Parts: sequence; C-alpha cells; structure tokens
Amino acid sequence: MKLVGGAALGLATMLVLSSCGSGGSGGGGDTQASGGGQVTLKMVAADYGDGPGKPNSGETFWKGVTDEFTKANPNIKVDVQVINWNDIDKQVATMVQNGQIPDILQTGDYSGFVEDGLLYKVDEVLSPNVSGDMLQKFAEFGKVNGTAYGIPFVSSARALFYNKDLFEKAKIAEPPKTWDELKAAAEKLKAAGVTQPFGLPLGQEEAQAESFLWMLGNGGGYKDASGKWAINSPQNIETFTYMKGLVDAGLTTPNPGTKDRKTVWEDFGAGKVGMVNGGPMSIPIFDAAGLKNYGVAPIPGKTGPLDTTLGVMDWIMAFNKNGHAAEIKKFFDFFYTGTAAQKISDTYKLLPVTNGGIQKLSGDEKLKPFLDALPNASFYPFQDPKWATLNPAIKQTIGGAVKDDPAKVLGELQKTAEAAG
Amino acid sequence: MTTLDVKEPRVRRRRGLRALEPLAWVGPAIVLIALVVLWPVVEMIRSSFLEISRLGVVRGSAGFANYEKLFAEKDFADVMLRSVIWVVAVVALTVLISLALAQLFNQRFPLRKLARWALIAPWAASVLMTAIIFKWMLDPEVGVINQIRLKLGLIDAMGGAAADQLGDAATAMPWLVFVAVFVSVPFTTYALLAGLATIPADVYEAARMDGAGRLRTYWSITLPLLRPALTVAALINVMNVFNSFPIIWAMTHGQPGYSTATSTILMYILKGSDIGESAAMSVVNFGMVIVLTVVFLKVSRWNKEVA
Repeated sequence: MKLVGGAALGLATMLVLSSCGSGGSGGGGDTQASGGGQVTLKMVAADYGDGPGKPNSGETFWKGVTDEFTKANPNIKVDVQVINWNDIDKQVATMVQNGQIPDILQTGDYSGFVEDGLLYKVDEVLSPNVSGDMLQKFAEFGKVNGTAYGIPFVSSARALFYNKDLFEKAKIAEPPKTWDELKAAAEKLKAAGVTQPFGLPLGQEEAQAESFLWMLGNGGGYKDASGKWAINSPQNIETFTYMKGLVDAGLTTPNPGTKDRKTVWEDFGAGKVGMVNGGPMSIPIFDAAGLKNYGVAPIPGKTGPLDTTLGVMDWIMAFNKNGHAAEIKKFFDFFYTGTAAQKISDTYKLLPVTNGGIQKLSGDEKLKPFLDALPNASFYPFQDPKWATLNPAIKQTIGGAVKDDPAKVLGELQKTAEAAG
Repeated sequence: MTTLDVKEPRVRRRRGLRALEPLAWVGPAIVLIALVVLWPVVEMIRSSFLEISRLGVVRGSAGFANYEKLFAEKDFADVMLRSVIWVVAVVALTVLISLALAQLFNQRFPLRKLARWALIAPWAASVLMTAIIFKWMLDPEVGVINQIRLKLGLIDAMGGAAADQLGDAATAMPWLVFVAVFVSVPFTTYALLAGLATIPADVYEAARMDGAGRLRTYWSITLPLLRPALTVAALINVMNVFNSFPIIWAMTHGQPGYSTATSTILMYILKGSDIGESAAMSVVNFGMVIVLTVVFLKVSRWNKEVA
C-alpha cells in the first residue's frame, strides 16, 4: 500500500514537472498558404503603443492596416503578432532558432540577420518608386556591403526644448545658439532660482544619445570621417571638458552620470529644468506633466546651432524562408504609399522616413525643427559589430567624463572600442 | 519446517522491493533537484566556455577567453571587493539589529502582536518596490527625505548636488546598505525569535539561582543556545545578499560608472554585450557564494556541539 502510494506520488510529481517544462514559448503557428491561392503572411512587429488593450496598442493599429490591405488584396492575409520592445529580440531569436521564421519583421535592427542570409534584398520586396522616395541618408544605413536589406520604418530626431516661462523669468530673449550663449542662459536661469538650468541625462538609460548630441556640436562623434573609432578625439575631449565646466558650476542636473533621460524629462515637465534635449517622443511626457509653454529649437553647438541631429530609426525587413516575395512587395508598397505610414506618425509621434511623409507633416510647428534636421541626421555607428559591445560600456561609464578626467574616461572607452569584438 | 522454507524467499523478495521503496519517495525530489538545481549549474558552466553571438547563436568553444576577458575588465577587482564588503556590512548589521529586535519582541508588552505583524511589512512588500520607493524618497527635486533635510537645514536647496545622495558612491552605498538591511531584518528577526522560543525557561531559572547578571545570562546562555538559529539565519542572508540584484539595480544601476556595482550587477550589465563573459561572471559569482559559505561555516563551527 505504502509502495503504491509512493509510486503514485512520484508519478504525479513527474507529471507536474513535465507539464511545467513543456509550457514555454507559444505563438509560433503554421503560416503556410492555405489553398485556393490564398497566402497568409506572418508578420512580427514591435509595439509602439502603451501595450495590449490600450487604444493605441500595436494590435489595434496593425488590425486597421491589414484589414484595409486584405480588402484591396483578397488573396493575401497578413497575420500580425505584436510583441513589446523588451521581449521582441529574444522571441524573434527563439523563432529563428526553431525555424518558425516570420515573413515580415518590424523591429529596431536588421543587420544581425544579414550574415546568415535570412533576408530578401530590398529591391526584391519594394517597388523602385517607393524606395526612391526614402530619405537617402536613412536608406544608406539599410545597406550591408553595398546591398540594401533593411527598410527604414519610422524615425526619430532630437532638438532642444526650452521652458518659455522660465526663460521669461530669467529675462532670456531667445534660445541659445552657441555654447557661450548656452552657458550665459544657464547662469541667468540659475540666478532666477531654476535648480537644473540644463537637463543633462548621462545615466544608463540613454547616455550614448546625449553624449553624441554634444559631440556633434563640436564636429566630433564616435567615429572620425575615415570610419575609425575616435571617442577620445581632441574635439570630444574639449566637448566633455566644456560640459564638466557646466556641471561643476551647478548649471546642470546634479551627478549627470546617474540620471536617466526619463527622470530629467519628467523634471522638465514639472518646470524644474530650463532646457533639455528631447525628441517628439518626449512631447507626451511634457503634456502629461502639464507643461504647455515650451519651445523647440535647434541644438546649440560650439559656434552655432547644429545643422544635423541624432537620428534613430527602426526597420522593417522581409525573410526569404517562406518565399512570399511578391505578396510581401504588395504589402510594403501598400504600407508606404497609403495612409498607414502617416497614421503611425500621427498615432505615436514618430517621424516619417520618406520625403512624401515629411511634406505631409510640415504644417506641425512643434515637429518642424525635427523634420528640418531629419534629412541631414547623424547616426550611431550601429552597423559596426563592435557597437553592440561598446554601447553598454558607454551607457555605464561616459557620465564619468563630466565628473573625473574627460581624457581618461573617453580613453578607456576608446580602448574598449578598439579591443571589442 | 516446510512452510517456513516456502515462506522465506517470499519474505526476501518483499525485502528487495522494500529496499526500493525509499527510491519511490525520494526519486521525485532527486529528479527535481537534478532538473531545477544541477542542470542550470551545468548549463551555466558550459556556456561560460562558449562563444555566443548577440542574437543568441552559439559560435563554438571559447576556451578560457571569456574568463580572460572578464578578469581583464578594469573594474573587476573593485567590483569583487565591493561585493564582499557589501555582504559583510549588510549581514553584520542585519544580524545585530535582528538580535536586538528578537529580544525585544520576545518580551511581553501591550500590542506585541500588532508590533510583530508590523515587522512583516518590509518582508511582505516586493523588494523591487521597496527599492523604487526609497529612490523616490531620495529624489533630489521632490524626495520626501530631502524635504525633511531641507527643513532641518541640512541642505540649502532642493535639486542640487547636495540633495542628490544616490548620485555619488560615497553617499549612495550607505543608502543601498540601509535598504538591504531594511528588507532582510524581518526574516532574520523571525528566525531568531523562533530560536529564542526553543530555549527552555528552566535554564534561565538555573542561571538566576546561580546569581548570573543579565548580560552574563545573555552572553553565556541565550547566545550559545541561539547559535543554530543564528547560523542558519546569517547563512541564508549571506547568500541572499550576495545575489541581491533589485535594490542596487533599481536605485543606482551600479552607477556612477561601476562604483556601486556588485558582481551580480556586473554580470547583468555584461549580459548586454557578451553572453559568454556574463556566464563566466555567473560562475565566478557561484564560486564566491560557495567560498563565502564555507568560510562562514568554518568560522561559526556550525556542526560542533552547542557549547
């Protein structure tokens, strides 16, 4: 009796265990054509909205797009699986490992898939008139060794936000254009009782963006014109020495190396910050905090405002495993020439990647500085495989360059860049 | 006689089956341990010797390259030293405070039940939540702790560097230790309280008869008899605190630089750039926990008779 009981218990435990084990990743599903010339495209997309169930969720957005598409092309169904940004890379990696490769993927990077030959070339899945309308500089970054694989999907750019009320209180007539003007304005704001005249988030969340914007202001960058890493170039060291001066004078966010951009944007929204670099995506944060009277201007550089800005873009790409090139082409053309691309800009405050899209939005005053800077944007050197190793190191340590010795901190990062890989 | 002869093999057979019976009971536990404990350890050690791409594709063996890269990290030595100091500081403070609290809660006083319940709160709340709340309270612009400091005249204004204690390692570290102690004290106190309850009253009576003072009684009776509970409580704390991640991550991300990072934080940061190196860090971490545990058990002579 005891023996039977023990065995039964043992068996029960095993069953529980094995059922736990098999729970893993679902959502794959069979996506092959289902007879009658009907083709179902499987698409995986990142969620730009506030998650499932919210009015701006990715599911709602894509359902609108695909319903309209299927109405025009009854033979093609598009099945969209929306995944949040935190999980999409891991889940797609799992799909690729398991051979459940989608037809279309929309996410933050494409270059990792090129090496293994998983992607269609852009001209196989996009009509020439659509690819011709893409912003040249953006499309250029979709190429690996001269062949385009990634299609720019949406973009984002940065500009200087300033609090008009605080500027008035400190008697500053207009937003600064040069570093000297920026410092003078910051001093006036400080004298007027503003605790953070310039919001400077060099903490882990996005230190690489803020740093890059400052580097651009002095003709610097992560790489030099010849494509070599130049993190500790004389220009960059000069830039960070200038920033350190601002920090030491108490004209910025305290201890910038520990502050995330979200915190600083919220402080700006709360009226504690005079100026801050931000993008269209920070507008909802400022709105939510109740700040209304702010302006947007080009980012000041050492001798004059930047004629470029940091551009960040997301990508859409087509996998070649299921051989649906013709259908994918129809869908991509539909997406870029129809209302969908504009709808995504309107819904999520993301910027378009086509000349046509920019024209359509040019009436929006708050977006104008971003749109103006977009065609001449600068990008992270994300195509360099070392960037993936370097980026986390920058996020963690570059804040030290405005606290300790700039040359030393940037020199360490330069070493990391040259050694990584 | 004959009946006995017939019976004997049957008995023997039953004894053979009987010998297997424990296996049926213990088997599932062994499978569970192998699956949930041993397998991940093996997998962790295996991946520390692999070269793994950013997209999770294994590219082959890396030999000791991951370890070499890890040991060559500029901040590695500092991080390891800081981890040890972090563990010692948090566990020592936790145990000292818990000893006092357990003694207090072992007394009879009005509303004792309520006080005991209240002690559970920091334990019941999610550690991550507690850490985030403390981060808010220390916010340089609006944090309530800074508002109190402002009222007390300890700082001149909100928003400046003086109000930003988490922004500098020298002031951030004590706060991190404080929060870690805050969340560890309830468990430790309850473990010690349980230990106190097992000490028989007649021992104290005997001590009183012999004319032992309060301090003397505590030192020679309470503490030695509390040792099993104390050892277990401290040991669990050592392992927990060494592997503690959410407090530091939520409050400072290990920043500025790596100056508030422990080895667990470093491991997580490395995961973003090199999974193999991160696995190597995990293995080192695992080894450290074992070393710390052995040292601790040696020092506390846990398996020796109670004095």
